[in-house]
Amino acid sequence: MLASVLLKTLRDQGRLLLAWAVSLALIVATYAAVWPSVQSQPSISGFIEQMPEAFRSLFATSSADMSTPTGYIQVELLSFMGPIAVLIYAISAGAGAIGGEEDRHTMDLLLSNPVGRGRVVVDKFLAMVLGTFGLAAVMGVSLVLEGSMVDLVLPPDKVAAAMLHLALLGVVFGSLALALSAATGRTGLSRGVPAVLAVLAYIVNALAPLVDVFDRIQKVSPFFQYIAHDPLRQGVAWDSVLVSTATIAVLVALAVAGFRRRDVAG
Amino acid sequence: MVQLAGVTKQFGRNTALDGVSLTIGPGEVFGYLGPNGAGKTTTIRLLMGMLRPTSGTASVLGLDAWRQSREVHRVVGYVPGEPALYDRLTGRQHVAYCAHLRHRDDANRAAEVAARLDLDLDRPARTLSRGNRQKLAVVLAVMSRPRLLVLDEPTSGIDPLVQQVFHSILREHTADGGSVLFSSHVLGEVERVADRIGVVRGGKLVAVERLQDLAARSLHRVRARFAGDVAAEDFAGLPGVRDLLVEGRTLSCNAPQSALDALLKLVSAREVEDFECSEAPLEETFLSYYGMDQAGGTALSAAGSAAQHAG
Repeated sequence: MLASVLLKTLRDQGRLLLAWAVSLALIVATYAAVWPSVQSQPSISGFIEQMPEAFRSLFATSSADMSTPTGYIQVELLSFMGPIAVLIYAISAGAGAIGGEEDRHTMDLLLSNPVGRGRVVVDKFLAMVLGTFGLAAVMGVSLVLEGSMVDLVLPPDKVAAAMLHLALLGVVFGSLALALSAATGRTGLSRGVPAVLAVLAYIVNALAPLVDVFDRIQKVSPFFQYIAHDPLRQGVAWDSVLVSTATIAVLVALAVAGFRRRDVAG
Repeated sequence: MVQLAGVTKQFGRNTALDGVSLTIGPGEVFGYLGPNGAGKTTTIRLLMGMLRPTSGTASVLGLDAWRQSREVHRVVGYVPGEPALYDRLTGRQHVAYCAHLRHRDDANRAAEVAARLDLDLDRPARTLSRGNRQKLAVVLAVMSRPRLLVLDEPTSGIDPLVQQVFHSILREHTADGGSVLFSSHVLGEVERVADRIGVVRGGKLVAVERLQDLAARSLHRVRARFAGDVAAEDFAGLPGVRDLLVEGRTLSCNAPQSALDALLKLVSAREVEDFECSEAPLEETFLSYYGMDQAGGTALSAAGSAAQHAG
């Protein structure tokens, strides 16, 4: 596990990733456990429909029908809890990638080996990608397996599509954190800015139907790429994947360029 | 091997390093001396490509330290000033990680050096004392048999016995044609291994000289007690005499060998009660010329004139 910066970074995150995976499986299990009682009470859908429209946009995907497995998971997990969990991990991993190693003063040791700065950034990025996709996979597998035990039946291919989009959402913001970390070395800033932007992007996408300004910029929100096409029903939207991937590529290029031109904190 | 040409580094408005030029040849140990905050670490981190020079260039074997830092690192071993390690990794894991990054198998060489330094490679870095962390940093720096060793105060925290082992490792390194840049804030640390020393203060390289030249200018501590009061002015005009102090009937000063004859004649022109003359340790000679205590004006001007002399 010490053969490259990538493997070393994953090794460092080992326990953290394990803790995240267990937490996600437990969260999904909680939702699965509640499902039978939700299913037997169709009035919950009525309750959601009675909510003010702004509320419904923010906390539920507007057209979701809570009495179907797909609608339930979409409202309960994909709209809120899932993105929060994946974003927290990805942003922390991205922000800690370069700045974290400088905070612990180990960057001098790492860079005194014949390893290019670009290589370090790319390896740290790949570790964050693998971690994020791994956590999304854990969430997806938990959904399908734990769901099947309580008659919460979800099509595995659609779940996989939703998790792909969820992971890409995480990687977009994680890459932003990485770019800030690489260009400034400041971990707090690299964590805070993407977190705030993620909240804004969420609000823009959620309230777009109600607010004119948001409607016009909705498509730049990574949350639009993630959820607007309803992946749990429609599967993968390749144009959204393309937009996300391009965004990530630009951010990683900026991260490499930013780290190459600045002084390393000793 | 190493060439710095007019290297200047500014952090914002603060000039940390101001036009430093020096060269280090193959097989040479260069002692880089200066008080804390003088610019030693800045120079070293520029050479390691961690910092980008504001102007001037630093190069190792003709490779630019900033633009070709990866190639430079292939031939350089580095001990940072405050060696930070990965807390959860053992010494052996550090060796494995760095060896992988260098695409070399240095395990045997690392084990050999660790044994000589009496370092246990199986303990996690977070449990190591300051001295042992320093030893591990040394192992990591020398294990790949680099052409150049860049050492930022490598022996602070290491006990004298281990320092001797460390010095013999350095001598083997230079015997094979390797060079060393060795920083310290005291001459004593580099005195036994350095061929030349450079003195940096306030970001400027104020002197470079061969250690044996410094030894040749080594000072004698002279003390005399006279039968009657004497005046300081009577002795002030002597060339080379330093740290002159006259109090009532006693005189004390430091004088190079060349000034002893004239000094003795002046002293013996008076009635002498007691006389004492002994060679000062090199450290004292050095301090007298380059006053490392940041005392300000006098020390600075003394060092300045010595730098011209040396240059």
